Amino acid sequence: MSAAPTGFQSAMKRLAPGAPARPSVSLVARLLSYLALIAAAMAILIPFVWMVVSSLKRTNDVFTVPIQWIPNPVQWSNYEDIFAKAEMVTWIQNTLILSAVVAFLQVLTGSLAAYGFSKGRFPGRRVLFLAYVGTIAVPWQAYMIPQFILFSQLHIANTLWSIIALQAFGAFGVFLMKTFYDTIPNELIEAARIDGLGEFGIYRHIMLPLSIPAIASLGLLMFVTTWNDYLGPLLYLRDPSIWTIQVGLQSFVGQYDTEYALIMTGAVLSVLPVAIIFALGQRYFIEGIATTGIKG
Amino acid sequence: MYMKNRTKWGTGLAVAACLVLTGCSSTAVTPTPATPEPGATATPTPVPEPVHLKMAAWLLDSTPEFKTLTDAFHEANPYITIDLVEYKAGNDYDTQMIADLAAGSAPDLYILKNLRNFFTYQDGGQLMDVSDVAAEYGGNTKGLSNYQVDGKTYAIPYRQDSWYLFYDKDMFDKAGVAYPDGKWTWDDYAAAADKLQKAIGGGDVYGAYMHRWQSCVQGFANAQAPGADILSGNFDYMKPYYDRVLAMQDSGVQVSFNTSSTNSLTYQSQFGKQKAAMLIMGSWYVAAYLAQVGTGDADKFNWGIAPVPQLDSSTFDNPVTFGDPTAIGINPAIDSKKTDAAKKFLAFIAGQEAAIALAGIGITPAYFDDAVTSTYFALEGVPKDALSQFTFGTHDTKPENPVSSKTAKVQGILGDMHTAIMSESTSVDDAIAEAESRFANEVTD
Amino acid sequence: MSGVVAPWRASRAPRARRTLAGLTFILPNFIGFAVLTLWPVLVLFYMAFTKWNIFGGSEWVGLDNFARLVGDRSFHKALFNTLYYSALHIPLTLVASLGLALLLNTKLRGMAFFRTVAFFPYITSIVAVAVVWNMLFSPDVGFINQGLRAIGIADPPGWTTSTDWSMPAVIIVGTWREAGYYMLIFLAGLQTVPKELYEAALTDGANTWQRFVHVTLPCIRPTTFFVMVILTIQSLKVFDLVLVMTNGGPGQSTLVLSQFIYNKGFIDNEFGYGSSAAVVLFVIALGATIFQYLANRRTVEL
Repeated sequence: MSAAPTGFQSAMKRLAPGAPARPSVSLVARLLSYLALIAAAMAILIPFVWMVVSSLKRTNDVFTVPIQWIPNPVQWSNYEDIFAKAEMVTWIQNTLILSAVVAFLQVLTGSLAAYGFSKGRFPGRRVLFLAYVGTIAVPWQAYMIPQFILFSQLHIANTLWSIIALQAFGAFGVFLMKTFYDTIPNELIEAARIDGLGEFGIYRHIMLPLSIPAIASLGLLMFVTTWNDYLGPLLYLRDPSIWTIQVGLQSFVGQYDTEYALIMTGAVLSVLPVAIIFALGQRYFIEGIATTGIKG
Repeated sequence: MYMKNRTKWGTGLAVAACLVLTGCSSTAVTPTPATPEPGATATPTPVPEPVHLKMAAWLLDSTPEFKTLTDAFHEANPYITIDLVEYKAGNDYDTQMIADLAAGSAPDLYILKNLRNFFTYQDGGQLMDVSDVAAEYGGNTKGLSNYQVDGKTYAIPYRQDSWYLFYDKDMFDKAGVAYPDGKWTWDDYAAAADKLQKAIGGGDVYGAYMHRWQSCVQGFANAQAPGADILSGNFDYMKPYYDRVLAMQDSGVQVSFNTSSTNSLTYQSQFGKQKAAMLIMGSWYVAAYLAQVGTGDADKFNWGIAPVPQLDSSTFDNPVTFGDPTAIGINPAIDSKKTDAAKKFLAFIAGQEAAIALAGIGITPAYFDDAVTSTYFALEGVPKDALSQFTFGTHDTKPENPVSSKTAKVQGILGDMHTAIMSESTSVDDAIAEAESRFANEVTD
Repeated sequence: MSGVVAPWRASRAPRARRTLAGLTFILPNFIGFAVLTLWPVLVLFYMAFTKWNIFGGSEWVGLDNFARLVGDRSFHKALFNTLYYSALHIPLTLVASLGLALLLNTKLRGMAFFRTVAFFPYITSIVAVAVVWNMLFSPDVGFINQGLRAIGIADPPGWTTSTDWSMPAVIIVGTWREAGYYMLIFLAGLQTVPKELYEAALTDGANTWQRFVHVTLPCIRPTTFFVMVILTIQSLKVFDLVLVMTNGGPGQSTLVLSQFIYNKGFIDNEFGYGSSAAVVLFVIALGATIFQYLANRRTVEL
């Protein structure tokens, strides 16, 4: 059975998906599965619960044997202190800017390049693509120093541009978008060309709308990756005014002493924006591929 | 310091006196030079140009020692200003420093936080020869020889930590056990931990706490055991030390390594919150503990420091312990016009004035004399008993890391050996044999 | 929608246009990639044939580094551990993430919450993740072993404190952490499955499993291929998680290739030697990718 959706027509009739229509499930089964999901959710959230609990403790109470799940005393002041003692607001700002810019650029350049690889036809296309993907296979720690020397010579080290340069032009986005573009039938594109649509128009009016979940996924994944990146900012963001959250929190790790409670406070605050973005953006991940009204 | 200079500025006489006596220019402080007093212009010493140096240091907000040094130096040499550049602490410091040196963007001066990595920087040609500065120092400055390679000195230590035995007097009193008397062997230490455990141990309270670093065991083996040399590839001498520690762990007088590591216990919380009556740790903990008492993170109780347990009674008079010095070196890429100023700084940091400044904030400096000791013990909260003073002032501190191209690799192998033994995944004999065979296989050149 | 007409539409032959278009689209990403990533990677490949202590110049040594790798027992250990990790981590994560995606691919109420929860492990600070899992795995007082003892296992494993069980512990945490990440990609992939194919299958009398095998799986094959390739590469490159959870220990039981490379470079100061290990890692990962690519091609018309 051929894998890709066969007809132009059926492709265009994609409606909002969701689970395929299921025969009705008994109430008990549904209740049980909800309970199972909740139990699993609690298990998954344990580390986060620990983080929250620790963020409300004194540093020397964070690690005890046995673990204390209820802080005593409850140190609400940690949440005050982290903004007072450290430039948390600056860090959040920087991290937000970087993550958003990187996500946007990766999606933009990645989807453009993916269109070229997926629907373009030129010699060496496959080999070049393989080379692209191949570089993902090299561990970053191995070439981070030659790259650092290069960035220093380009005078972008110790600026926010370095992180953008580091992350925005990766092969991951190209690969992901190409995967999705490959599922868009060529007939659709041919028809659009016959209609008079130029390449960029096809990209904008067909490829993009048909791959919204992929774009949402790529954007979010790049956002989170940049948000949580530590080694990159460690090397490239030296000036305290451009620190990101992860690097900023490390300043609580002293040579002889570590303020674990404050680190956890920062970590909790760090998770929230991402969780909110993800929760709010849910519909894009499973939203239907919008029908654009291209005539069939 | 800056305030003082400005007041000097206010009084023209003081300015003149400064110009005449120290030959320094006051232009370092304010941008507009003052008109010198008549007569002061006849000073024979030329007015030096103000020099700005940059020095790499870490966690400036919470680590006062760097600013203390640079401020004290600036006060003595107002025309030289040293700006501190913030780096991360711990292993990240070296990652950042190496990257910067490789890219040519490192500061003029930088800290060498232990001897293990000193070799890397020296061998890589990233440290300027400062033998001329070293020659100016006398016998009171300890640790200089560690930074000598092929007869030349490449860095100057400003701080020398040593490991002490910290003990909680209140817990000892409660258990009815006699305090350490400064003449303990390792057996005495184990026996005391045993008595403490029986009397007051239980729950999460133990007789002693040993931290998880390889240095907690190996540092002493390397310093005290006869014939100890990690570069020899023969590690048998570590066996008795490991046997003792494992015995203490198994008999329950200290938290097991596995529990400690999986629960990320910190020595500050174990001793500071009175969960252990004894702790063997480096001298830096004194200042850290006092700071934590100040913020309420540690309990306030009577405590003291004693020399670490010895192998046998022969070294009681000059107890053998270990500790790496911390030094500052000059980046050879420094602008040649600034070299003199940088060397002047290095000539300052291991002298008495710097040492007193450091002792005043609870740091154990590289320079030792009675003035330093009395400054240190004048600090609020530092235990003032005779044994503590003896511990501070009298010790034979061996470096934790010998300076060699093989050190980093060997320490890596020994670190793996340490975790294998302490987690009780591998027997001491097997782990030592494995380490020795890895040494033969991997430590080349 | 008619209307947007590219300037070159009528004036060039279709093939040339597609070639040109293809190249133009690739250019922005490729230039950035070539300058900022490809170049350092090429430098790395060159360094693998040199002795370089990073500060000075490098000294060409030809294949010496590779010869040394052959005899280096720590390298063998790292290689073995990496393959061990990958062999278990890849299938586990694949199944978990696909399962989660299938399970949560509905618009039922509350599913948004569960999807966010599934993604939480990936967005939580990796330091917190390592610390908490170490506590859970604590052999004496940890939750997991207490549970195991409660169900009758008298001598539960030492997990991160045991040389035998440390790698399984890391694998479990790795899967737990990344399932949400790949779930997201699978979710996107599941959206490309046309609903009417399900309906057609239902009409044909297919049950859930058959629908899965005959409709879902084939339709998401490109996504599955993508996940497999990335998952394989990321597993071979695993570094952060191991570093914070066990730091390669106890002993060398969780030493992986990336950490071997990092240690050789930053601790032993042998960047040339570390680079050669990186090249080996690259070759393995590339080989695995090419293998998967060919296997995928045979069953799909590209």
